[in-house]
Amino acid sequence: MMLISGCSAQSSATANDEPLLILEWTGYEATEYPQYFTPFTEKYGENINDVVEYSFFGDDSEALARMKAGVEADLVHPCRSWWGLYVEDGLVQPIDTTRLSNWAGVPDELKELGQFNGEQYFIPWDWGYESILVRTDLVQDVPTSWADLWDPQYEGRLSMIDASDVAFIIGALSLGFDPWQTTPEQDEAIKEQLINLRPNLLNYWVDYTETYDLPASGDAWVVAGAWQDAYGYLLDEGYDVAYVNPEEGRIGWMCGYGIGTNDDNLDMTYEFLDAALDPESQANMANEFWYGVGNFDAIPMIDEQVIDLLNITDLDAFFNETVFYQPLTDAQREQFSAIWNEVKSSP
Amino acid sequence: MSDYIEQISTKTAVSAQPSRQKPEFSRPLLGSLVGPTWVWLVLFMLLPLLLLLLMTFRTEAFNWQSWEFTLKNYRQFIDTPSYHRLLLRSFGMAFVVAVLSVISAYPVAYFVAFHAGRWRNILITLLIIPAMSSFLLRVLAWRIILGSSGFLSTFLLWAGVMDESAPVLLYTPTAVIITLVYVWLPYAALPIAVALNQIEPKLLEAAADLGAKPLASFLRVTLPLSLPGVLAAFLFVFIPTLGEYVTPALVGGPEGVMIGNIIWDQFSRALNWPMGALLSLSILLIILIPAGIVSLASKRSNQEAVPAYE
Repeated sequence: MMLISGCSAQSSATANDEPLLILEWTGYEATEYPQYFTPFTEKYGENINDVVEYSFFGDDSEALARMKAGVEADLVHPCRSWWGLYVEDGLVQPIDTTRLSNWAGVPDELKELGQFNGEQYFIPWDWGYESILVRTDLVQDVPTSWADLWDPQYEGRLSMIDASDVAFIIGALSLGFDPWQTTPEQDEAIKEQLINLRPNLLNYWVDYTETYDLPASGDAWVVAGAWQDAYGYLLDEGYDVAYVNPEEGRIGWMCGYGIGTNDDNLDMTYEFLDAALDPESQANMANEFWYGVGNFDAIPMIDEQVIDLLNITDLDAFFNETVFYQPLTDAQREQFSAIWNEVKSSP
Repeated sequence: MSDYIEQISTKTAVSAQPSRQKPEFSRPLLGSLVGPTWVWLVLFMLLPLLLLLLMTFRTEAFNWQSWEFTLKNYRQFIDTPSYHRLLLRSFGMAFVVAVLSVISAYPVAYFVAFHAGRWRNILITLLIIPAMSSFLLRVLAWRIILGSSGFLSTFLLWAGVMDESAPVLLYTPTAVIITLVYVWLPYAALPIAVALNQIEPKLLEAAADLGAKPLASFLRVTLPLSLPGVLAAFLFVFIPTLGEYVTPALVGGPEGVMIGNIIWDQFSRALNWPMGALLSLSILLIILIPAGIVSLASKRSNQEAVPAYE
């Protein structure tokens, strides 16, 4: 017995010398962007490459596939509609939030988004909107709801996001349904609704740069599912654009960090997480990316323009008007995909 | 597919050096020469294909511990008309693009082979140069040309052919066809030029001596002898177009969606790898149809063509 415990102590000591393996989107790595993790990157300075090691993914399905295939990441940064699958498959462990000094700055409403079975599994870190972007100088009326996208005045001028989950949610919201609790009859209605959008469609956009280019060139007057950074960009370029706050609510995406089940380097992991939630670091990210943050203590340090864009001056209104993505099951994904494929292939 | 390429190259070898003997290789030497190719084929083609096939019978992408096999995906594929529509649409698109590419590449290849003279190598290089730039760049360039404030619309507006209210050309199946024909043109022209190049000038002279008008000698001598190249060009275009994903996504618009876009969706959004694998497999099987026809046809045209050489 002594021998065994001696052994495991030995192995965990060795593990502590290994860098943290972080499964991450490109553009967030502490080695290149130290300003998003200031306390951590300042402490380790030039030795940062000895303490963190990055592995990148291009989309959420890839991250989940890699974790399921056995990549033992210490930290992973997926988005909320995928979080449930990580918990269900036992890929992440509960987070002891008492070890995070900056946790108090995260509003309860955001904390709840990362909770499963009464435990905190994910740390909300970055979020944003998927809403309607409009070239106000080209349209007659600016849409005020998701249902307005079906207005014939936008014929051939609407660019719609090519993503089965977002399309389904937009269809559901426009009909007044709860996107996450639909009946089979409602699913059928959502499919019909999305097929009926066809006359208004210019194209389906796949790459986010299209949400910059299409309204800029005037090809698209209205972009559905655009993120707020496209709005910020077009505003800076001097275009007449509006970012609609639809009556049914803006769709909110949210991503954050989870700790891998086999992480044996917890001290370093929590140190990194706490640095990620540092108000100044979070403000840096908001000001550079126009993204929302997990730690609202950062708000005083965020530019006014970004605060306006993120609509977080009135927090009650913010939480009431934002429809945050809910975790999706495998079956839901398959169903959304089947519906969207039928919509896209409809004659 | 290797069939007609082999044919083209042996023909070249035959007409260039008719007396050349088949070289003798010792077995170990042959093994060491062919070995790496075999390893590559097995590792990067045969095994992945087997895995793909295996995936179509699985219930989920991961969890390789479970060996539960199912025909669920096949049933679902049969029961979903949208997949059939998309496959049919993709087949039609690939066919139209391949035919148009061959038709527009033929005169180019003909000129290069018969009339370019000492400019031939320069012209061939010029033909290939666009293919050296990024595929994505060329597709994006067409977005600029076809866009509503783009080059073509501006020109048509100026020329009075089109009025302001006319729909933009971009984001239609036509845009996909125009873009892909442009992209594939060099790939289609080269095999045709190679085939035309091998035609013995003597045959054309003989046709003229026997009183054939230029059109008749083209239709009865040149065209049949260039058929292997034409068929190769057709396949070179047809095969990659069938599974196209980028071009329809970027210029296709709502009517231009192809099966490749749905396969991407199955893998990335739906996380339904088995269905994605099944759809990929269906493309593979569809490709076998024209590939088989072409292989048969080129064998026949070869048999007919051979006596002409002797």
